Amino acid sequence: MLVNLQGPWSPLIGRLSLASIPYDNPILVTTFIIVALLGAVIVAAVLYYRKLPYLWREWITTVDHKKIGVMYIILGLVMLFRGFADGALIRTQQVMADGPDSTGVLGATHGFIPPFHFDQIYSAHGTLMLIFAATPLVAGLGNLIVPLQIGARDMAFPYLNATSFWLTASGAALVMISLFVGEFSSAAWVGLMPFSELPFNPGVGVDYWMWAIQISSIATTFNAINIIATIVKMRAPGMTWFRLPVFCWATLSTNIIGLTAFPILTVALTLLGADRYLGTHFFTVGMGGNFMLYVNLFWLWGHPEVYFLMLPAFGIFSEIIPTFSEKPLFGYLAMVGATFAIAGIGWVVWAHHFFTMGMGPGLNGYFSAATMLVGIPTGVKSFNWLFTMYRGRLTFATPMLWALCGLVLLLIGGLTGMMLAIPVINYTVHDSVFVVAHFHCMVLVIGAALFAAVTYWWPKVFGFKLDERNGQYFFWTFVIASLVLFGGMFALGFMGETRRLDYLYDPSWKPLLILEEAGIFLYFVSIYYFFKMLYVSLRDQVPAEADAWGTSRTLEWLTHTPVPFYNFAVTPQIHALDELAWRRSHGLEKAQPEQYVPIHLPNNTAIPVIIGALSFAFGFGLIWRIWWLAGFALLGMIVAVIIRSFDPNKGYILSAEDIAKMESNTGSASVIAEQPVRLPLSEVEAH
Amino acid sequence: MILPRQRKTPLFLKPLLLLPALLLSGCSTDGFRLFHPVGLLGGAELHYTLLIVGVMLIVILPTLVMTVLFPLRYHKSRNAKYRPDWTHSTVVEIVAWGVPLVIVGFLSYFSIQAIYVVNPYGPTALDNAPGAALAPLEVDVISTDWQWFFVYPAQHIATIDDLVVPAGQRVEFQMTSTSVMNGFYIPQIAPMIDVMPGMRTKDAFEVDQPGTFEGFSTDFSGAGFSWMQFSTRVVAPADFAAWVKATQASPNQLTYAAFQTLAQPTVNVGAKPAYFSAPDQGLFMDVYNAAQQGVVYPVPDSLTKSVSEVSAEGTQAPAGQ
Repeated sequence: MLVNLQGPWSPLIGRLSLASIPYDNPILVTTFIIVALLGAVIVAAVLYYRKLPYLWREWITTVDHKKIGVMYIILGLVMLFRGFADGALIRTQQVMADGPDSTGVLGATHGFIPPFHFDQIYSAHGTLMLIFAATPLVAGLGNLIVPLQIGARDMAFPYLNATSFWLTASGAALVMISLFVGEFSSAAWVGLMPFSELPFNPGVGVDYWMWAIQISSIATTFNAINIIATIVKMRAPGMTWFRLPVFCWATLSTNIIGLTAFPILTVALTLLGADRYLGTHFFTVGMGGNFMLYVNLFWLWGHPEVYFLMLPAFGIFSEIIPTFSEKPLFGYLAMVGATFAIAGIGWVVWAHHFFTMGMGPGLNGYFSAATMLVGIPTGVKSFNWLFTMYRGRLTFATPMLWALCGLVLLLIGGLTGMMLAIPVINYTVHDSVFVVAHFHCMVLVIGAALFAAVTYWWPKVFGFKLDERNGQYFFWTFVIASLVLFGGMFALGFMGETRRLDYLYDPSWKPLLILEEAGIFLYFVSIYYFFKMLYVSLRDQVPAEADAWGTSRTLEWLTHTPVPFYNFAVTPQIHALDELAWRRSHGLEKAQPEQYVPIHLPNNTAIPVIIGALSFAFGFGLIWRIWWLAGFALLGMIVAVIIRSFDPNKGYILSAEDIAKMESNTGSASVIAEQPVRLPLSEVEAH
Repeated sequence: MILPRQRKTPLFLKPLLLLPALLLSGCSTDGFRLFHPVGLLGGAELHYTLLIVGVMLIVILPTLVMTVLFPLRYHKSRNAKYRPDWTHSTVVEIVAWGVPLVIVGFLSYFSIQAIYVVNPYGPTALDNAPGAALAPLEVDVISTDWQWFFVYPAQHIATIDDLVVPAGQRVEFQMTSTSVMNGFYIPQIAPMIDVMPGMRTKDAFEVDQPGTFEGFSTDFSGAGFSWMQFSTRVVAPADFAAWVKATQASPNQLTYAAFQTLAQPTVNVGAKPAYFSAPDQGLFMDVYNAAQQGVVYPVPDSLTKSVSEVSAEGTQAPAGQ
């Protein structure tokens, strides 16, 4: 039943052996030492300051949407950094391995990374950036902001929310552990088919890739269910659909995509798993298999996934540009319509990822025209942002700079994207670095939006703003780095450089490769300023107002800064589209409620983190074919879910007096402040 | 604008000063292969590229100008006209939806028109080419891990990594792969088309003047992918005939058995060519059928982990799946 594999296998440790540990690879050993040292420092600091109980109680077992959002964002930023390190390695290898006369070090014939390792690095780069950096950042912002913008206490399913996060973290941990135990996939982030099948990828790399994505994509599906339910059911009284902030509309459309698209990926990867584990022939070349089926399924998920990441970015711009233009968003209804138009068209354009596969003119023509339709609502959005600024009163705080940068990048990415949507152009630049430069432009739009969002909403969570001066240094170095790097890459695309080369045959590309490497250097400078920004802000901690930017328009800025763990002392009544702006114009933004009512909140639970840890063990067991480990982990997860279903814990009640006390001393209610243990309802009743 | 005030050029920006020099040295436009098409097909590709980008710029450029201008014009410090209540305009919305709609309409028209002109399965761009009157030269392309086989069924010859064709005659390819996907691409002259195991794709081109071009695989296929170049030599018809005759004299015969040995995973560093006579009639269909029946050329674990210049030649026969 199970397929035969090359190499040894034992019932106890599966395919694992001492040879799976790459202790002879200097790059990986160095990385391991750095990671181990950093980890040791963090653990030591936690123990020294006796913060372990705080971490466990307030963060690891939390079901608070804001903390889960923050943890998502931290996970995303860490993975972004790891993904960037991979990108730096790719660029450095290419600049070193250009031309037949280039020399090699560290066991490579050219450059410093042998092909097999290089292929893993670019595969990990793509997987990490899209699935484990951008997706958690988007999910985290949705978690953090949506309930605050709609005046809800929490997400619809707080426990499911925590489970989603820990499953995502477990997937990310699998990718990280593949650095030091075994290998990662060499088949690109898309899982090239039939290259991902056993005859061509006999190692555990593809299995790492497959299970890491599988686990985290299930988490994304859960998160999508949660956010949709939250927006549909938990809006504050008075918040009709057309008083819903645009960011919430964007998040809603994104998660409708998430809910409908991610299961396709789950199915595709399950079928691939059947091929690799059971010897079926879904995606093999022969025996009735069809690898084009995989390619279609993958992009049927993959293209909506692009908009899954892009639409929240548009939502973020739509919040930030009005705030710093001191003007409501221009054409709210058109913006909402455009958002859903993009989400809808995203469903019917997937084959533009393989125009070169020999489809006839009819199919290519349809997919070309359908793809370009996306340009219409995207253009509408650009115009509406521009007319939001038109006759506004603009200030250039860091979030606004990021948003403006995003608009410019969107134009460059949009132009090149429309070019790629034309088969005749695609026939010349498909699979070249022109495509790579194009989609980096687009993910940089997402990146700009995410940096904008983190800067913009930071004070809401932590009570102080990020340092403006270093934030702007970070911004400018990052933007220049991007232009230098991807400008060079666009040019190389027109010179005919193909993607995914670990050795470049044409020495005349050297100058542009050096230019790209200069971009990498500037990125390092920008990272320095990013950390300096964090350091200076944490050192100074200048307290921020409830409405930290002074001109915000939406509900999340109505409550205290930093936001209390119960969000709003009293559920707000909504009167207008931009509620805070409405209250400000009626002189009500500082009005206090006449009386407080008790608040019902959920208790913390350790089940989600246990399920996350078990899913890691499950994935690890399957990757190395340690059947007993996978079996026990799966059983453990099922038992954990059953235990949770019989848990009588109904949450706890925050009394009106407690709320009044905390409202007079808002620091004590802050989401990051340590809270006393509050007994669950069931135990209160029992006493 | 609140720009970070810098007293002097910070150290980290110094390398940037070298950039113009770097750019100039890299940008004698000869390097930009795609701007220098050869033949009617490549010419049509560039023609449509420029036309389509031109149409796009009609809307992109003004938007870019507005994106730069509006933030500068309406900065708080400029005390420009401020209309905080202006949030809707039917005229603006009609323009915002209408202009992109019209542009996309034109683009779709040109795009679909162009697909037929450069269609790799029968490009109308070559209808009036000098070679249109001649019967096309047929070449079967078989990609292996990680080499290119070019089989000339009518000429009874085959090569590895060396595509030689006559000038002034249309060349038609049918393509398949033994193992995984590759992309067949010769910039400047032929559209990129994927080469897939167990499937058959087509491509075509015609070049009317002798010349030499670099072709390569564009779709990642494994450890030896970076070395999958092949030279494309367009020669005068007489030279082509002479070359065919010389190759027909090659003592190496490409039987299916010989092919199976050569198709084992091999990294051909430097794309060293090889020449064969008398390829099996129907070699292409044999490879195609074998792939469909589940024959694979598995990559040994050792070769996936480290690629040395020594190829794993002829170690094993192809295995069934």
